Amino acid sequence: MKKIINAPEDYVDEMLKGIYEAHPDKVKCVADDLRCYCRAAKKNGKVAIITGGGTGHLPLFLGYVGDGMIDGCGVGGVFQSPSPEQIYNIAKEVDDGAGVLFLYGNYTGDIMTFDMAADMLEMDDIETKSIVGADDVNSHKDPKTRRGVAGIYFMFKAAGAKADEGGDLEAVLAAAKLAGDNTRTVGFALTPCVIPEVGHANFELAENEMAMGMGIHGEPGVWNGPLKTSKEIAEESMKTLLEDMPVASGEELAILINGLGATSVEELYILSHDVRTILDAKGIKVYKTIVGEYATSMEMAGASISICKLNDELKGYLDHPVDTPFITQK
Amino acid sequence: MDKISFEEIPALFGSVGKLFVDKKEELCEMDAKLGDGDLGLTMSKGYDALPGFMKDEAGAAGGDIGKMLMKSGMKMASLVPSTMGFLMSTGVMEGGKALKGVNEMDAKALAAYLKGFAAGIQKRGKCEAGQRTIYDAILPAAEAAEKIAEEGGTLEGTIKAALKAAEEGVEATKSMVPVFGKAAVHAANCVGVADQGAVAGYYKILGLHNYIVGG
Repeated sequence: MKKIINAPEDYVDEMLKGIYEAHPDKVKCVADDLRCYCRAAKKNGKVAIITGGGTGHLPLFLGYVGDGMIDGCGVGGVFQSPSPEQIYNIAKEVDDGAGVLFLYGNYTGDIMTFDMAADMLEMDDIETKSIVGADDVNSHKDPKTRRGVAGIYFMFKAAGAKADEGGDLEAVLAAAKLAGDNTRTVGFALTPCVIPEVGHANFELAENEMAMGMGIHGEPGVWNGPLKTSKEIAEESMKTLLEDMPVASGEELAILINGLGATSVEELYILSHDVRTILDAKGIKVYKTIVGEYATSMEMAGASISICKLNDELKGYLDHPVDTPFITQK
Repeated sequence: MDKISFEEIPALFGSVGKLFVDKKEELCEMDAKLGDGDLGLTMSKGYDALPGFMKDEAGAAGGDIGKMLMKSGMKMASLVPSTMGFLMSTGVMEGGKALKGVNEMDAKALAAYLKGFAAGIQKRGKCEAGQRTIYDAILPAAEAAEKIAEEGGTLEGTIKAALKAAEEGVEATKSMVPVFGKAAVHAANCVGVADQGAVAGYYKILGLHNYIVGG
């Protein structure tokens, strides 16, 4: 393991201290807990949106806390859930009377955490609603049990925009659902990653191998095999995505090409071009192309491809300005 | 003992914590055969800390047993953030919800706590009776407690009935087919063996029993 760290057990908290010090005008922690991460300023009367999940996926999850997106994030240990108490404390801080939407990935530990926090908040008469991102096509056949990965970006974007527009809790939930229902992702890995407190890779891939459909914690994929070219990866991925969610010629998409942590942006643009070529040939319009790191898996090499089928409502949400310490869109 | 006062509640749960500390190795060994092997750690760590959380929350709860249980249950979840930890914590919280505004625990309140606890397990775990889980020990215990309490039984009579039902519940899991976790994968190995989660549920009731009846 080669990492710029001190003690592995301090990895999460020392990272958080650095973020708070770099962006004091934008974010703060509450309840004397570094892992209760909130927007510095409340926006009056707006529905609050809270996410949470394990560390190791930046900018997911806390990187989306800021103007135009979400209001708070429970920060767990590396690949671990935050606690119900942390989500409760964050909700007490960011709720401004309009209720709270919990929007997070579809992982068992996180579901229990958020459900318990919702129970506690109900006692305090704070209304909550929950929705999960479940966009990873290869993680399960049943859409309800799929994991949430990079495509949750579109849900944050839609919910954040709707909340900014003054939508009530039902409307913000509906916006998130609309984005989620129309988003699909496939991912693949070229190398594993190292959890600091474990100290060695959590699986192995030979130099000339890749894994298709690998989850963002190293969950086994659809196949492990010889490394393919960018074109071949794009073809297989788009086939999987469009079989799962058919898109007709003339319909519009946003595409998100997301790096998993150790793949260069140059490579992501090569992949993006290959995806675009396939869509062009099918007559599918690309309204927006987003390339960069949106949901990483420590320093895994690899990428994911997400598509979000758009209507006018979703296009409006996508165009809504965003300003967080990690993402700016004017 | 007819009633347990607000001030005595941490000691009631302290008895559960002490029992789980004693049974830590046994539960881990049982769990290692069919699960993750950490069941004893979760149960002992969570329940051993619970009385302390209750004392911390006692002032703010102002005599309300339900409030004290809810807040301390949430703290327990933060300490043992695992599936079983969340199930236990939700049980304590839902048991607390059933006792909102209650200042002392009599037979009916104990039954209400156990019913709430069982409902919490069911709600969080999305499990049903007969699926070979902790619920198969807790639900019969709660139902037996409710029956005795409604018939005007004493606190001792109520917990004794709950304990007997939990014991029978554990026995019944020996012939159940598991649907959750690693046990479901190794279903064939479960035949004739009691579910370790149900055993943990039985110990939870036994811990309460030991305080009330003396054990």
